[in-house]
Amino acid sequence: MAKPMMPDQPGPTQVTGRVLILLDGSRQSLAALDVAAEIAHGRGAQVLGIFVEEQNLLRSAGYGFAREVGSSSGAVRPLDSGQLQARLEALAQQARLALARAMSSRGIAQALTLCRGQVPEEVLGLVQPEDLLILGQVGWSGAPGARLGSTARALMRRAPGDVLLWADGVRPSARQRVVVVLNHDQGANHRAIRVGAELAARHHQPMSVLLRTSGDEDGQVAEDILSYLGQQGISARVRRLPMATPAALIRSLKEEQAAQLVLSRQSSLFLDQGAEALLEQMHLPVTVTP
Amino acid sequence: MARPAPLSEQEIYHRCPLDKLEFDTTESLEDLDLPFGQDRVLRALEFGASMKADGFNLFVLGPTGAGKHELVRRFLDRHAADSPVPSDWCHVYNFSHSDRPGVIRLPAGEGRAFKDDMNELVGELKTAIPATFESEEYQARIQELQEEVSRRQHQGLFEIQEEANRNNIAMLTTPAGFTFAPMRDGEVIDPDEYKNFSDQEKELIESKVEDLQKKLQQAIQQIPRLRKEVRERIHALNEEMVQLTLGGPMGALREKWANLEDIVAYLDAVREDVVEHAEAFQDNENGPPQGLLNRYRVNLLVDNADTRGAPVIYEDLPSHQHLVGQIEHRAHQGSLYTDFTLIRSGSLHRANGGYLILDARRVLSQAMAWDSLKRILLSGEIRIESLERLYGLASTVSLQPQPIPLSVKVVMVGDRTLYYLLSHYDPDFLDLFKVEADFEDDLERDEQSYALYARMIATMARGGGLRALDRAAVARLIEHASRLAADQKKLTAHDRVLKDLLSEADYWAGQGHCRFIEACHVQQAIDEREYRASRIRERSLEQIRRGVVMIATEGEQGGQVNGLSVLQLGATLFGQPTRITATARPGRGQVVDIEREAKLGGPIHSKAVMILSRFLANRYAPMGELSLSASLAFEQSYGGVEGDSASVAETCVLLSAITGVPLKQSLAVTGSMNQQGEVQAVGGVNEKIEGFFRVCQQNGGVDGQGVLLPASNVEHLMLNEEIREAVREGRFSIYPVRHIDQAIELMTGRVPGEAEPGAEFPEGSFNRQVADRLAAFAEVGRRTDDEGEGGNGKAYDA
Repeated sequence: MAKPMMPDQPGPTQVTGRVLILLDGSRQSLAALDVAAEIAHGRGAQVLGIFVEEQNLLRSAGYGFAREVGSSSGAVRPLDSGQLQARLEALAQQARLALARAMSSRGIAQALTLCRGQVPEEVLGLVQPEDLLILGQVGWSGAPGARLGSTARALMRRAPGDVLLWADGVRPSARQRVVVVLNHDQGANHRAIRVGAELAARHHQPMSVLLRTSGDEDGQVAEDILSYLGQQGISARVRRLPMATPAALIRSLKEEQAAQLVLSRQSSLFLDQGAEALLEQMHLPVTVTP
Repeated sequence: MARPAPLSEQEIYHRCPLDKLEFDTTESLEDLDLPFGQDRVLRALEFGASMKADGFNLFVLGPTGAGKHELVRRFLDRHAADSPVPSDWCHVYNFSHSDRPGVIRLPAGEGRAFKDDMNELVGELKTAIPATFESEEYQARIQELQEEVSRRQHQGLFEIQEEANRNNIAMLTTPAGFTFAPMRDGEVIDPDEYKNFSDQEKELIESKVEDLQKKLQQAIQQIPRLRKEVRERIHALNEEMVQLTLGGPMGALREKWANLEDIVAYLDAVREDVVEHAEAFQDNENGPPQGLLNRYRVNLLVDNADTRGAPVIYEDLPSHQHLVGQIEHRAHQGSLYTDFTLIRSGSLHRANGGYLILDARRVLSQAMAWDSLKRILLSGEIRIESLERLYGLASTVSLQPQPIPLSVKVVMVGDRTLYYLLSHYDPDFLDLFKVEADFEDDLERDEQSYALYARMIATMARGGGLRALDRAAVARLIEHASRLAADQKKLTAHDRVLKDLLSEADYWAGQGHCRFIEACHVQQAIDEREYRASRIRERSLEQIRRGVVMIATEGEQGGQVNGLSVLQLGATLFGQPTRITATARPGRGQVVDIEREAKLGGPIHSKAVMILSRFLANRYAPMGELSLSASLAFEQSYGGVEGDSASVAETCVLLSAITGVPLKQSLAVTGSMNQQGEVQAVGGVNEKIEGFFRVCQQNGGVDGQGVLLPASNVEHLMLNEEIREAVREGRFSIYPVRHIDQAIELMTGRVPGEAEPGAEFPEGSFNRQVADRLAAFAEVGRRTDDEGEGGNGKAYDA
């Protein structure tokens, strides 16, 4: 049984911590910069850019037989360390400039951290529980047509705080809704609701809460949520949803005209790759809360 | 030759006998369906309207206001009523060539139903197809498809990755692709460490890497094919769904229109097109694009649902566009666009299968209209071309609708001049307008025509919503119709004048609170019309009264005569006397026409003076020399003189000038004369006589004055009541003359005298005096010549 939402609980404006953005120079990560700037501006937070030179990649380029197979063309071309190093440096520089440009226009304090090693480990070494981590759902390292890259998969599960997986090319309209997917019985729902409320307020969108139930609960949870959101001045509705496959959830999300999705990491969706399957199918920004 | 007796009252006016009108008022008369006396036109119309062969279009020619349009319209309405109603025509989208809208022919009245059916189908497409795409079935199937493709796409890469992992090789992503490297415990082995591997190990690893690279390359290169395949499968699914959705409504439509092959073929094309554009129907937010749906609409170009019989269309503005139709454009965000729904029909479309009435003058005055009409009639099909395209002013891509076969009878209505000019100058004209329907200007006035003319008047009055006429009014109108025809034996066929007169008479009857139009109202209408048009005439009379223009109406005067002329101003004709004077002296046998010398005389007048001159020479100096230097002038005439109607007067005045015998100023003269001295008919006699009569009235009253006119003009006299009264009382005389000698006798009071062949004129006769005087002139002339020669000799001798 979830704890009822209390009016004196901290509101969305009281969230503190930095905004971390993982930059790899890909189109997705650069697109996420604007969102990071907007959020940081709203929270009055500073922005830390992270650029990781992947150790394994640098090593692989050191082999004499190393070749690069083009991700779109399939063309095979030689790959050497010097060339790769130069490319990574250029990407880092590009990321630095883009970060500075995006933040300076809003007067946001920013910095770029360069590291070398395994990407998830390096990022996890920098991120704090109160920080918001933003990254593209897929970077340049993603396989062709993939919607969710390996880094996103890892960080979504392992990061201590909120993670926003940004989807490029999505233009939310006021007719669409912010959808929060909750398990009926989880205490972690409070944070997800608060994040959802923050998003709904920022984008002036109504909110939907999809409650995944096993069918024998009372209606108190829904009432509590609605009452809390009503106090926040957010138009919202709650729908009960049986514990079903990701495909059924996807259909519900489409029906709700979801523009943004908020998921708790403790949701049962994360138990059996359900979250990954969901995100593979849905092309929309997703915030994963602890 | 006997002196002519003056005409009686009966001779100068042909009364309408009331006993020929067997009715009290025109209320009891039946309408006349078609005008009488126009048999030639009616037969031509009957023939032209029924003749099916090409080029047998009609040209109805006649004077303006003769009622050509009304007659043609009335005739064709009757003729077309029993003809079959022609087809409806639609323009539809051409799915193979979008710039050439197709055309479909349907039985009359079915075009509307077809249009409604297609509108209904469009409505159904708008809702049914998006609903299909939103259905669970479709969503599930499309998701399965996408998942399958996604799985296959990833499967390839995943398998390679798995294979690499199994062989301790890492598959890594670079900014632009993938690379492979040997790994241990999830980490890529340091290249320095790798150097320590045995050659065999290295070879194994490198060959595996190469193998993986090839597989990866193949897998990546298959992705576009995979994507294409999925697109095709989605398309096939869409088609299948749309086919299923459309099956019902399309089947019903095909069945309904099964008897029209064109429509069935069109419906099949629509279904193909909808299926092809299935994806466009998927946008559930905005619905299918309107442009796409409009393709399935029908532009009903010709709708004969309400037509009875063959159509009879009168195009009152026969411009190129109005005749052949046009393609309109819509402005959208600063640019113009068009489609087949903006094709507008022309009058040729609407008249197809029937009759098109056109005003020839208007067709000719509209740019390209005549050429387009000819082109279409020659080709037998209506092809819509824009004017700017015909002129070569626009070269933008536009529509070229499929031509529509044409079967129309064009009836052009125009005046005779146009008909003859077109016949002469346009080589196509007689090929296209083979039937000439020539209107009679005047109708015969005989015993049978009174009743018919009365019925025609009754029809006019009824048609115009006017009061009925009583018998006397009809009689007065018939008499006036003769006056308008300027002939006692004719009646005018001029529809407009009669109608106007009837309307005016009706007005006056209304003013007098009378139930019927009576003779006095007709007379009042005539008088009022005359009065309204009389300003110039009154000014002219005033000039004469005040002596500014000199006209004598009594006494005698040598070398001076009253000629009669007619002036036409607009629709008004009026006559007035003109003083003609002559001088004569010995000379070289010439008569100087001062009007011609001053370039105020027209060619016909010059011809008449030459005839007169040769008449003089032939008659009075047949064997000798004509020594005469004479001059003729129309005094106080500044506007030019034309016509030969003054030649009798000119002969009289010239003879008076030669002989010095005075002419009676109380008589005015009109008539032309030939070289034999015979007097010939002239025009406008009524106006001339009335003009002189009015001058006499205001110059001290009518007492003994008169007019000489050609005897052949007597049957043209329809003089007004005042003159008839004066004639009755003997105050005014009208003399019909056949020969110049009769005119001489009347004008001089002298016996003219007739010469036997080879002999001179009798002693003491007027003609003898002329001959003697001319002989004297000749003598004087000879003497002058002799003296001139002698004088010269003397000078020479000196």
